[in-house]
Amino acid sequence: MLDDVRVLEISAPETMLAGRMLADLGADVVVVEPPAGSPGRRLAPFLGDIPGIERSLTWQALNYNKRGITLDLSSPDGKALMRDLAARFDVVIEAAGWGKTSPLDSIEFPPSMIRCTVTPFVRTGPKSEYAATDFTVMAASGSPAMTGDIDRPPLFFLVPQGMMEAGADAAIATLAGLIARDRDGLGQRAGVSARIAAMMSAFGQALVPGSGNPESTRAQGAMVIAGAQAPSVYECADGFALITIGFGPVFGQMTRRLAKWAADEGRLDRRIAEISWSSFISDLMAGKASPQDLQALVDGLKSLARSKSKAEIAEASRRLGLLVSPVMNMMDVAGYVQYRERGLFTPVSIEAGREIDAPARFAQFSNYSIEIKHPAPKLSEHTAQIFEEELGLSKAEIQALFVAGGI
Amino acid sequence: MAAPLEGIHVLDLSWVMVGPASGRYLADMGADVIKVESSKRIDPVRTLGPFKDGKMGPERSVSYHNLNAGKRCIAIDIRRPEGREIVLRLARWADVVLESFTPGVLETLHLGYSDLKQRNDRIIMASTSLLGQSGPYAKGTSGVGTMGAAMSGATYQIGWPDREPTGPWGPWTDAVTPRFIVASILSALHRRSRTGEGCYIDVAQAEAGIQFMMPAYYEYAANGTIPERCGIAGSPLQAPQGVYPCSGEDRWIAIDASDSGHWDALRVLIGGKLRDAKFDTIIGRLRHRAELEETIAGWTHEQEAEAIERRLQAARVPAHVVSGSGDLARDADLLEAGHLNKIDDPVFGEADIEGPRFSLARTCLSATRRGPRIGEHTKEVLAEVLGMPETEIAQLRESGVLV
Repeated sequence: MLDDVRVLEISAPETMLAGRMLADLGADVVVVEPPAGSPGRRLAPFLGDIPGIERSLTWQALNYNKRGITLDLSSPDGKALMRDLAARFDVVIEAAGWGKTSPLDSIEFPPSMIRCTVTPFVRTGPKSEYAATDFTVMAASGSPAMTGDIDRPPLFFLVPQGMMEAGADAAIATLAGLIARDRDGLGQRAGVSARIAAMMSAFGQALVPGSGNPESTRAQGAMVIAGAQAPSVYECADGFALITIGFGPVFGQMTRRLAKWAADEGRLDRRIAEISWSSFISDLMAGKASPQDLQALVDGLKSLARSKSKAEIAEASRRLGLLVSPVMNMMDVAGYVQYRERGLFTPVSIEAGREIDAPARFAQFSNYSIEIKHPAPKLSEHTAQIFEEELGLSKAEIQALFVAGGI
Repeated sequence: MAAPLEGIHVLDLSWVMVGPASGRYLADMGADVIKVESSKRIDPVRTLGPFKDGKMGPERSVSYHNLNAGKRCIAIDIRRPEGREIVLRLARWADVVLESFTPGVLETLHLGYSDLKQRNDRIIMASTSLLGQSGPYAKGTSGVGTMGAAMSGATYQIGWPDREPTGPWGPWTDAVTPRFIVASILSALHRRSRTGEGCYIDVAQAEAGIQFMMPAYYEYAANGTIPERCGIAGSPLQAPQGVYPCSGEDRWIAIDASDSGHWDALRVLIGGKLRDAKFDTIIGRLRHRAELEETIAGWTHEQEAEAIERRLQAARVPAHVVSGSGDLARDADLLEAGHLNKIDDPVFGEADIEGPRFSLARTCLSATRRGPRIGEHTKEVLAEVLGMPETEIAQLRESGVLV
């Protein structure tokens, strides 16, 4: 779909998903690394738990479908080559760290160029000079404060999320610029703050006080309603299941079916199952229902979950239409028949002679298909090819650049 | 300059979060987004908080406004033949259609992609659901973002080893999925401007969640290791990196001084036991991590989180308060950037909602407005967009189609 779009990605953790999404959607993406390699190549986990510049699995997962070159953007040679290359591309994506100017600032881009810059905080705002890492950006997003249990510290994802959130929004910002250019031929700068991107996963936490509500507190492990605790994750026979007790006209119907299932299995008193869960909250406030009823439901669900496997729970959820699902680990994800048969996966090489199935097809289209055309580039894999084809450099000139340390 | 999607028409048949949040991105980019709702079947997000002043009510959900800012809303019963015809006529007007029904439902209403395409062969239609439109478990399966998180492998990896997994905050895949929908739609619009070709797009929310978990998936697929929840905040390969208690109730500061320059600066600032030679090297810091963390916590726990943030930033050490709702509402970065916008709603008065998630320097984005009330623009849309005469609108209202 983007087969007429050419993207230069100045590699950083925050650009990796952006470049890959655009490449997956058909763009020709060339990732530009410093001669020593992108910082993305030093992100864990590593192939076989052995580190190495070609062994980062994070790098591999977020850079397939791209070609790769090296270029020292701090050198006059690098800047000149970048300028010449940029004239042949539509988009440049970069991440500018705190307190330093981007090496691209001194390069004059053609007016049709879309330049997307990711910064930790707003580029022109009061925290623009903040020292930041993915971890501190996530702390500022609002979601860790809500994640985990109130009697223990806030929790974070094991996989860095700031770079994912920022990368995805950088792809969108770039595409917005592209659509505008389709109309008038002119490019522009686009900006993404990783912190604001990551606030998407905080679901409007920033809006809580401004709408006249007390500040939120962390209660992930258990929703507390009138003193009754309703957990969201339950131990089951071979792992865990997510069971959501919802109320109101839509979600309350699902709770009714869930309670009936527990009663049918002999795990819950029939009287509890027949409570009007749709109106439970308003009934509770009106004194027509009791928190003990909710506690009884939770106890019944605990007993029910322990008697069932993840597969049985998934089957019942589909059959009965419940807000219930198995808590899948990565082995479950890799083997899930729904993902397999739907065509989520496609093979990709991760080292010589070895392929894995990558969950590449984040969207399916009636007249386009996301494919992995080539694995993540090895360091400088396409430097000579691209300088020769795009800039007409001779073999001797390319060797001279290497000898001088610029590539 | 005109916003990028000015003149682009979006018919938003979706509800709750994923579809509406995708439509919100398009509205921010200048698209005219018409949300289809019905007071007989209200958007369930209207039953989710936060509510203005904590009082529940279908027109009081701030989450609703945050997801539907800048859209118009018509109220119709799409199950009635006349209602269905209105949807088909709007499909002729639309460039993009969004929907998030349980897979199979739109087809039974004869409002599926093939029905819409008959009226408009350039249409770009995006469907989103928990597991997608194809595959053995697709049809009839509905679900929410907490289930998406559980089925993408995210929930399993967050929590304390001695307790059940807690999972990420909220319906996590509802935040992740819109990005893949919007990027797909914009790419399809770009292609259509060259070839005239529309398309159908199918995004499964659980699959979208896996995208943000790719490194963990690769760890299993390549190394055979199943990533497990480990409680601690921060990487096991980097130290110091973590959250530390501050004075006050549930106050925390996140510090990441794992880079050697940052470590040196932190060490100078805190001094004391951190000067010990065993912390000179990264190997030493990892081997004595518990003591290292304890020493830092001993320094942080009597200070205010904001004060530590300022002190550490002055020393150029990456640090930030673990922001709660109050911190975010007061945050200078967000306020000065205009990310929090006051809306004035005729029903409940003032509230904050978020602005766009990115900026463009030349073409503007839409000013952030409140979301529409149920059916607020029914008459306007039928008259102006479909050119429907007033008598016909009155008739439809009479017969209970416009509810």
